[in-house]
Amino acid sequence: MNKIQSARNIGGYVPMVDGPEKVSGRARYTADILQPGMLTGRIFRSPYSHGEILDVDISQALRLPGVKAIVTGADCDKTFGVLPIARSEYPLARDKVRYRGEPVAAIVAVDDATARKALSLIKLNIRELPACYTVEAATAAGAVQIHKRKPGNIERDIIFEIGDVESGFKEADLVREATSNCAEVCQNQMEMHAAIADYDALRDRLTVHASTQVPYYVHLMLAQILDMDMSRIRVIRPQVGGGFGARSEALNIELIAALLARKIGGCVRMVTSREETFITHRGRPETDIRLKIGMRKDGRITAVECECDQRGGAHSGYGTVTILYSGSMLYAIYDLHNVKYTGRRVLTNTPPCGAMRGHGTVDIRFAFENLLDQMARELELDPFAVRRANYLSAPTFTDNDLMVNSYGLPECIDWVERESGWKARRGKLAKGKGLGMACSHYVSGASNPVNASGDPHATVKIKLDFDGSLAVLSGAAEIGQGSSTMLAQAVCEVLGLDLSRIRVIASDSDLVPKDTGAYSSRITFIVGNAAIAAAQNLKGILIAAAARKLEAKPDEIECLGELYRVGAQDKGITFDEVAAEALKGGGAITATGHYSTIPESRGGNKYRGAAIGASMGYSYSAQVVEVSVDEGTGVVTVDKVWVAHDCGRALNRLTVEGQVQGSVWMGMGQAMSEETGYHDGLMLTGNMLDYRVPTIQDSPPIEVGIIESNDPHGPFGAKEAGEGSLAAFLPALTNAIADAIGIRFNDLPVTPDRVFAAIEKSRR
Amino acid sequence: MQALPEFELLRPTTLDDARKARAAHPESQIIGGGTDLMVNIRRGIVAPPVLIDLTGVAELRKINADETSLEIGASVTLVELAAHPQVIKHYPVVAEAAAHIAGPMHRNMGTVGGNLCLDTRCIFYNQSEWWRGAIHHCLKTTGDICHVAPKSRGVCFATFSGDLAPALMTLDAEIGVARADGIRAMPLNALYIGYARQDEPQTATRGDGKHFLSLRPGEIVTSVSVKNTPGLRSAYDKIRIRRSIEFPVCGVAVALRRDGDALIDLRVAFTGTNSRPVRLEGTAALCGGTPDARVLQDLDALVRDQVMAMKTTFTPGHYRRRVAGVLARRLVTRLFES
Amino acid sequence: MAQLLQLTLNGRARVDAVPDNLLLLYYLRELVGLTGTKTGCDGGECGACTVLIDDEPRLSCLMLAASVAGRRVDTVESLGEDGQLSAVQRGFHEKLGSQCGYCTPGFIMSSVGLLRRNPRPTDDEIRAALGGNICRCTGYVKIIEAVKHAIELHEAGVEP
Repeated sequence: MNKIQSARNIGGYVPMVDGPEKVSGRARYTADILQPGMLTGRIFRSPYSHGEILDVDISQALRLPGVKAIVTGADCDKTFGVLPIARSEYPLARDKVRYRGEPVAAIVAVDDATARKALSLIKLNIRELPACYTVEAATAAGAVQIHKRKPGNIERDIIFEIGDVESGFKEADLVREATSNCAEVCQNQMEMHAAIADYDALRDRLTVHASTQVPYYVHLMLAQILDMDMSRIRVIRPQVGGGFGARSEALNIELIAALLARKIGGCVRMVTSREETFITHRGRPETDIRLKIGMRKDGRITAVECECDQRGGAHSGYGTVTILYSGSMLYAIYDLHNVKYTGRRVLTNTPPCGAMRGHGTVDIRFAFENLLDQMARELELDPFAVRRANYLSAPTFTDNDLMVNSYGLPECIDWVERESGWKARRGKLAKGKGLGMACSHYVSGASNPVNASGDPHATVKIKLDFDGSLAVLSGAAEIGQGSSTMLAQAVCEVLGLDLSRIRVIASDSDLVPKDTGAYSSRITFIVGNAAIAAAQNLKGILIAAAARKLEAKPDEIECLGELYRVGAQDKGITFDEVAAEALKGGGAITATGHYSTIPESRGGNKYRGAAIGASMGYSYSAQVVEVSVDEGTGVVTVDKVWVAHDCGRALNRLTVEGQVQGSVWMGMGQAMSEETGYHDGLMLTGNMLDYRVPTIQDSPPIEVGIIESNDPHGPFGAKEAGEGSLAAFLPALTNAIADAIGIRFNDLPVTPDRVFAAIEKSRR
Repeated sequence: MQALPEFELLRPTTLDDARKARAAHPESQIIGGGTDLMVNIRRGIVAPPVLIDLTGVAELRKINADETSLEIGASVTLVELAAHPQVIKHYPVVAEAAAHIAGPMHRNMGTVGGNLCLDTRCIFYNQSEWWRGAIHHCLKTTGDICHVAPKSRGVCFATFSGDLAPALMTLDAEIGVARADGIRAMPLNALYIGYARQDEPQTATRGDGKHFLSLRPGEIVTSVSVKNTPGLRSAYDKIRIRRSIEFPVCGVAVALRRDGDALIDLRVAFTGTNSRPVRLEGTAALCGGTPDARVLQDLDALVRDQVMAMKTTFTPGHYRRRVAGVLARRLVTRLFES
Repeated sequence: MAQLLQLTLNGRARVDAVPDNLLLLYYLRELVGLTGTKTGCDGGECGACTVLIDDEPRLSCLMLAASVAGRRVDTVESLGEDGQLSAVQRGFHEKLGSQCGYCTPGFIMSSVGLLRRNPRPTDDEIRAALGGNICRCTGYVKIIEAVKHAIELHEAGVEP
């Protein structure tokens, strides 16, 4: 006889629950939904960087046979934007165009050929204005103002000083300052943006399929833009081909598709080109950083002063949050006091930036860890020793009131030091080879949702009916990160059931409870806790039913997943019998679980915006990167990466490893080859040849160590795993290059031409 | 579905039919694997009314290779060329160049003829219709100025990026060119006329990045052939930012012969820099002794003089020009000592 | 202009009238309805549209449908038998070679092409064969593990 036990899956290697669909080609992404009668939508985009719109002449285009309708800014006077304080963007430009590529009009036609032809017949009449493409130009005296309410083209400035920076620097044995420039980068998720909007004119109802990370925000913005009651809108998120933050706010394409669909009373399919996907952007802004650190001889940091300018592009987007993150997340990794931060988020006539993976923390972390390494060298300290001299001791609150309850950084550091053979190998490698290390961290969900509405931060429902299967209903957007697998695992773990009993439905606003979506690495922590709560509630109902059936008290019932019994001698009753008993009287059961962050986690008020960066828990990462530098050509090869990530508890080791490897690698792209470039505001790199995502032949082995610090609030102890390891790669690389050839790079990406130029300069 | 412009696709199965089709449709374009042309059609850069697909012409799909000579049909795919044992053995520079073009699917599709006649490239040219319209197009299409060198007075600086041409040029390759009335042979070197210089006016034999091939209307490149030179050592190397799905930032082919301690024959050719593949001139002066530091310095000087990389790629021209010399020096040293 | 296209698609003979200017990609996705083959770029830069033409991986986004007349075309939908996943599909599922899944059909077809011509590739050969496919999620580490797992399954008798 088999040993009777609950199924367990937390901590195992669990392939994704939606994997079979993905490997068989059956997974349906938005662009795969093809139905007869669908019409094709296309966007007419501004060829100008900046100008007042005098006229959008669509008359000729409208006369083209096959064109069903055209919308322009005149069709919608409502604005959208992810932050309630900064909704300044029209789906189709009205007063002005502010960047090359901004949507001005949109066509719906019977097919693509007709839509394209119609595009060429639209005439945009404009009074051109001077354009600002850089922070310097946008903030220069007399610069033309891009948005009426933003004088000086400052989207948001922020300054805080916590502690006493001046005396902090006086205590230091070494004070060093460095300026860094990190190029703008882009998510370039593999699936191009797509939306299908279907308007039912008879019932005044709209259904939108969107490739989004945030179906709820799309729902909100559709209601706002269309001036429709939310109850008349249904948002469906099909399979999503990656996000990385590009889709963590409603995008113009979804809204435009809906405007077109309503205008014609039909179904409009819009799929953007790769170039349009690049121009829709929402990537990481170009960032200039001036950083000054004071350090004692033992490596202890005494003061930090940081100035940060971000070129945000033509619209607000997440801008305010990004520039605040860059300041607040100086904290929560090391024990810092005496910190001064000055940040400026600047508006420019370039495509709008957004919340790319590692939102707001990556470039700052690069500058910080790069300078730490330089100072360690000057003080003849091992870079590991410098980090160890500055550990936090959890539980604690940082000076800016971030709550740190679990802190696995020391174990991460120990792991990469050991596994990379650092002590034995550093300084003894062949010429042109080097080792570098660095650390990083990230939030496990923002404790303060950007659109707070008073309801719980997450709600999960589990439905159980006559068939005995469990449907987990959640609005948490599966975008390839494995959130549906995590939800299935969490529910199964509580109930002791095998994953095969569970179906996760996380895709349709008609079926699932609201969820704010997949961003800020919130789903495991916040939705995972809600899923556990829901499963526990269901378990309570099932135990009560089992107790009735077995004529015992609920606390006598032992739940073994497929079997409920009263003590080991009882042969018990099956899950199906328990379910049938539970359904008696009330019928189908829906158990609900909620989760909200605790007030102590929501940050302080030492400066305006101090709530940004506040989280229930922080992940930690340490990395060692080994490089080879060809000093003749400037070509840098990453030979290997060791990364340790503190994710609290690995609910699924397979997906944790995958997320960590993917983060490290995306950091490698930013550090070595990826950057957007513009010619007078026109994106030069809007394709996958010139925007150089590393290929498999450029990509190193990445060895992952999972560190489990067991966060007291995390679901089964878990924290985030999908973002925190990105940032450390960048400085670990430049630190390794410095180790290899003695040249320190403060600007990214470190492309061969830059390395070559630096080597030439150093030899002069 | 992205709609392509209307065109007629012809798929001849004999060279004769191909020739007739070409003669009947002077505005036609030849398509091999389509890895470059189809991208340009999708971007609205070109819109030929007729495409003549040569991949079904059996005569053009042969490789004849042994230790004395090499002949490659225009429709041979890059993967076939790279994997051919006799090519690898006797003409390594050709196999190496073919093996590292773009990515594996491109090599499965792309053909020798297509790579030899590869359209020149430029960051202001290889962009979408909308993009090019936003800056009023460029000289290479319908515009009035070259955005790379706005004062170029009508000269286009688009860059040649094919990898096979420099490799074959170091072997003094000849090509076969078919037209309605027969086949003519010409040096591969003479196919390329992109001599773009701001200070030099264009002529029929000295063109630029736009007029970079000497083919006349109705002509088709059908084959490329090489006579082996005993004792010749050859190799190809290039710089790419990524190791796949890239055009060369700069590619270098070197072939040389050694007699005792002396370099007696040196041929160097580049791609990814000028509006044509560049066969370096003046290398005879570098021969006669061992390629020591002084010789390599002189080689570098020749490279700097003849390689002219402009702002046609995202990677700065200065780097492409300098690294061309580095690769050439390395290959010369490596081949000489091998 | 249109042509009559006869081909063997996923093991079955098929005849369709196709316009001269129809890309193979759209023939498969929109005319036949095989949406497993994806498009991720504006032409030839990502590998998401990879299909096998006579067992050789090619980019369906740069091929005209009419040009595959008489050829054998296999898409991701051709893999697996009797509802079971093929060796490469299992490799990508079980080893997490697929996260968002969008590049996956392309990677799988490149891998199948590799295993059909070289059942025991080395790590370098795997990298070289997959060099034309871009993945934005995995960092490729688990993709290599997926292919190695597929090699083992293939050796144990599962079709690639």
